[in-house]
Amino acid sequence: MPVVTTTDLTRRFGSITALDRLTVELPAAGVIGLVGPNGSGKSTLIRILLGLIRPTSGSASVLGSAISSPAHYASRVGVLVESPAFIPGLSARSNLVSLARLRRLPLERVDAVLAQVGLMGRDREPVKRFSLGMKQRLGIAAALLSDPELLILDEPTNGLDPAGIVEVRELLRDLGRNGRTVFVSSHQLSEIEAVCDHLVVIRFGKLVFSGPMTEMLKRTREHIDITAEHAADMGSLEAALVAGGWSVTAVDDVLRVAAGAPRAADLNRAAAAAGVTLSRLVVAQDNLEEIFLEMTGRVDGELANGRAAVGGEVA
Amino acid sequence: MIAAIRSELTRLRQPRLLVTWFGLMTLFALMINAIMVTFVSGGGSLPPGAPGVAFPSLVEMESPSGLMAGLAAASNMFGVVTLSVWAVVTAGDYGSGLIRLLVAAEPRRWRLLAGKVVALVILTAAATTVAAIVNVFAVLPAAGTAGISTAAWGTDLVAVVGGAWVNLFLALCVWGVLGLVIATLARSSAVAISIGIGYVLVFESIVKMLEDVPSDWLLGTILNAVAAGGTAAVAYGTALALALGYVTLGLIVAGVVYVRRDVTD
Repeated sequence: MPVVTTTDLTRRFGSITALDRLTVELPAAGVIGLVGPNGSGKSTLIRILLGLIRPTSGSASVLGSAISSPAHYASRVGVLVESPAFIPGLSARSNLVSLARLRRLPLERVDAVLAQVGLMGRDREPVKRFSLGMKQRLGIAAALLSDPELLILDEPTNGLDPAGIVEVRELLRDLGRNGRTVFVSSHQLSEIEAVCDHLVVIRFGKLVFSGPMTEMLKRTREHIDITAEHAADMGSLEAALVAGGWSVTAVDDVLRVAAGAPRAADLNRAAAAAGVTLSRLVVAQDNLEEIFLEMTGRVDGELANGRAAVGGEVA
Repeated sequence: MIAAIRSELTRLRQPRLLVTWFGLMTLFALMINAIMVTFVSGGGSLPPGAPGVAFPSLVEMESPSGLMAGLAAASNMFGVVTLSVWAVVTAGDYGSGLIRLLVAAEPRRWRLLAGKVVALVILTAAATTVAAIVNVFAVLPAAGTAGISTAAWGTDLVAVVGGAWVNLFLALCVWGVLGLVIATLARSSAVAISIGIGYVLVFESIVKMLEDVPSDWLLGTILNAVAAGGTAAVAYGTALALALGYVTLGLIVAGVVYVRRDVTD
């Protein structure tokens, strides 16, 4: 049974349509990534699932219960929505104790989650003394308090240092392996690619892709990055290749040619025929980021322009 | 709802919040007693309708109820502090984003609000107790120094102290609910405190100056009457009934908004 199902889920804020008839099913168990450009409706979707806001139309269910009755599933869902929110004057432990009491949980869970996120030993310090990374860990600890079946995390690696990011990545993997479902929204596409089993991409509040990560990565293509020995030759090289029927894009100080390894030698010969010596030729695979940008628009400005073009909506 | 109350009480255990709240109650209790005793022993009289204070006469001061007269005299000061604390605590959930975690953990939002109100009422009782204790310890030496007779102050001690405590506590709860209601609507403690204090202490004072407008229904007047156990203008029973009406109306408005409004903070 899917952990989350939405059917024609729509939410409007005045003239802005944050979610537009979104229909998606999220499979149980594993780590599910939610990605989309700023303003694509990720936070709105998460807030609707948590009962923080109500949809304008459509329906959804979480762990088999309709979102109109979030009390039916709240105890089985752990959340970290946007930045972690705690009372700065209280210790980390007291903040967690207050949440444990609200959820009617034994206080032993507080110790367990503090140990799980590596905050034991700092737990009696006021949260106001915590770094952003420590607050983020505390947010994850709060989400884990009820030992939930479904964990919904919005940008869980925000503010973490590289070591912290690796730790959270491992934590998410472990949580996903243990029969739990982790639904994680992130802008860090490399993180999503490294951790997630399933991917959901939304744009303008509409579903762009939902499926296994492997299926998404099958869409990747090879490309060849080349650099001329002399920078002054780059323009003539690009012109010669285009004239020869190659698909070429200038990316920073290299030319990116849409072709795979089998055509590398042909490309090298074409450059030589144009009188240009290559100093660098690298065959590479598109990553998730490139596919994502292709699907959703390269920059926020493009997204905003796109919204304007499809009916006056602005992200 | 017990879970929501215990949870809220844990969050309220912030040292800075409690020290500020109880510290200001102590300060105002000391201050008003020093001023009141000096004023009363000097034979001074306040102009009618003077906002925020209700000093007793010398005769009243020397009666059994004189022991606790400071609580009623300072009720508006205590009230402003209480309104501010309730507003800060309520709006703080929105400002910090904590409301997201709370609602996700307990989607029956009315329980969250009820838990908050009950927890704040419990701490308001503690703050009232602090004010009452400080009042007793402040007024005794002050009265002795000013030559006010304290011979009658031991009469009906429990009734006098208990009655004054109850009256101040009830008045402070109404002040607090006012802060909570405005903070729920505004989601900002600064706005809530400004509006609350501005309404009770400024707007109502202006209304009272208008001779053609009856003022015995105004919240500030009612609160003063509750804190003093009734005044010449408003009987105690009437004041309690009106205060209950204000509180009920305010909590209904706050409850509907709290439960129905999207959590976008």
